[in-house]
Amino acid sequence: MRKVRKTSFTAVASVIVVSGALIITSMAQAKPPRSETQVAQERAALMTAVAKGDDLWHSAKLGNNGLACANCHPDGSASNVHTWPKFQTNLGKVGTLREMINWCIAVPMQGRILESDSEEMIAMEAYATFTHRGVAIAPAKDEQHGAVPVKSGPGYPRH
Amino acid sequence: MNKISRRQFLGMTTKAGAATMFAGIFAPSASSMLGLGGVAEAATKKIKPFTFAVLTDAHLYDIADHKFDHILEKAVADVNSIKPRPDFVLYAGDLGQSGKKAELVKGKKILDKLKMPYKIIPGEHDYYLDMGKAWRKLFGDEHWSFNHNGVHFIGMNSILVPDFWTLKKLTPKERMHMMEELECHNCGAWGVGEKQLNWLARDVRRVSPDTPVVIMTHSPLWDYYPRWNFQTYDAPEIREILRKFDKVISIHGHVHQVVYNEIDNMRSCGLLSTSWPWPYPPVELEYPHIIQRRADPGDFEDGLGGHDIALNADFDAIVHWREFSDLLPDNIKKGLKV
Repeated sequence: MRKVRKTSFTAVASVIVVSGALIITSMAQAKPPRSETQVAQERAALMTAVAKGDDLWHSAKLGNNGLACANCHPDGSASNVHTWPKFQTNLGKVGTLREMINWCIAVPMQGRILESDSEEMIAMEAYATFTHRGVAIAPAKDEQHGAVPVKSGPGYPRH
Repeated sequence: MNKISRRQFLGMTTKAGAATMFAGIFAPSASSMLGLGGVAEAATKKIKPFTFAVLTDAHLYDIADHKFDHILEKAVADVNSIKPRPDFVLYAGDLGQSGKKAELVKGKKILDKLKMPYKIIPGEHDYYLDMGKAWRKLFGDEHWSFNHNGVHFIGMNSILVPDFWTLKKLTPKERMHMMEELECHNCGAWGVGEKQLNWLARDVRRVSPDTPVVIMTHSPLWDYYPRWNFQTYDAPEIREILRKFDKVISIHGHVHQVVYNEIDNMRSCGLLSTSWPWPYPPVELEYPHIIQRRADPGDFEDGLGGHDIALNADFDAIVHWREFSDLLPDNIKKGLKV
């Protein structure tokens, strides 16, 4: 259990660091000693999480009635990642995207919820967030937002 | 109200099918037909008013007592309660989810509870496990036409894609699984294909331009969001073949939402599902006021429902999205004049 948590923490940290790096790189180079190779590796680590999240998002195995997240949320749409945390009626409180993902798994999909800091949950959050890259953060905005338009393929560099 | 029996209704369809098959032997190709129609100037022929109903996208699973079974049952009961009774019902595809015979058999059993005859076309979810074999055995032809009270009705299979599975040596189950994803990465764009285009050209060749036409496909006959196959790649050819008519009403499933568009003489209506509502894709809508509001994820019937379409003598249609809950804006609550 402890080991899992440690791994998860590293994963979270890398998601945050890489997200930051993605934005900053457009303005400035990484500060030495973080080389371009390191930045590329960090980005690759995130994309591995995104790909894993994509697979989980499209998997009926999280639920027990055949449904996957993607049934209602193709390309991560309408997960409204930019609006969380917010008060969500079905959660009955101010909740997080992860809590909403777990609610969807438990209620519409009739499945078993994930550990909030599990590798799987972080991967799903990474996927949903990545499909909304560039969308302005807007807590509690009462509006459904589509994912970033995708012409073809998975919508992100994969492999 | 002009009531027709199931036998009469199906009989009509069969005869029309046989006639077009025969004519087809000498028919020119679709491409040579294109552009011959020209734009109709005459007013639409008077018709005998009637109502028909439309259901679509049940996505039934081979799981006993699944929630989608009950939603389809509710929609069927709702259609049966419409007064005056619709003359017939059209079903726009995706009765099943994974193409299994058991899903389609279950769906047919529920649809057979309709008190009026129905005609159906396949969706991709009905099809790619056995390439439509079970579906055809249960429901017959994938494309058809019939005339009712002066209106020419057309149904076509718009979910055909070029073979992406043979080279990759995919099993039928793997192929189906890929097609089940709306955002399938490697499945390609859907269309009706050349055979059906030829059939359509032959089918409408002798139908006079002042005839009201209703065409049903699973996917939209316009480029809405190709990424999700909210499109039909040969829709431009279909629209061209139907261009000679004064007015064509196109109804389509697949989008699981209220959406509307007009191109030339064609007016397209997207339909509600009885499974789950889909978010609007990230594109600007041509008619942004003809939409449904966001569904509550906690209400499994939100954003779902059936439809009735009432046609008057002048082929003015009132399209009524019979949403189970209250997600329609006021301007279309009582129907949209199309």
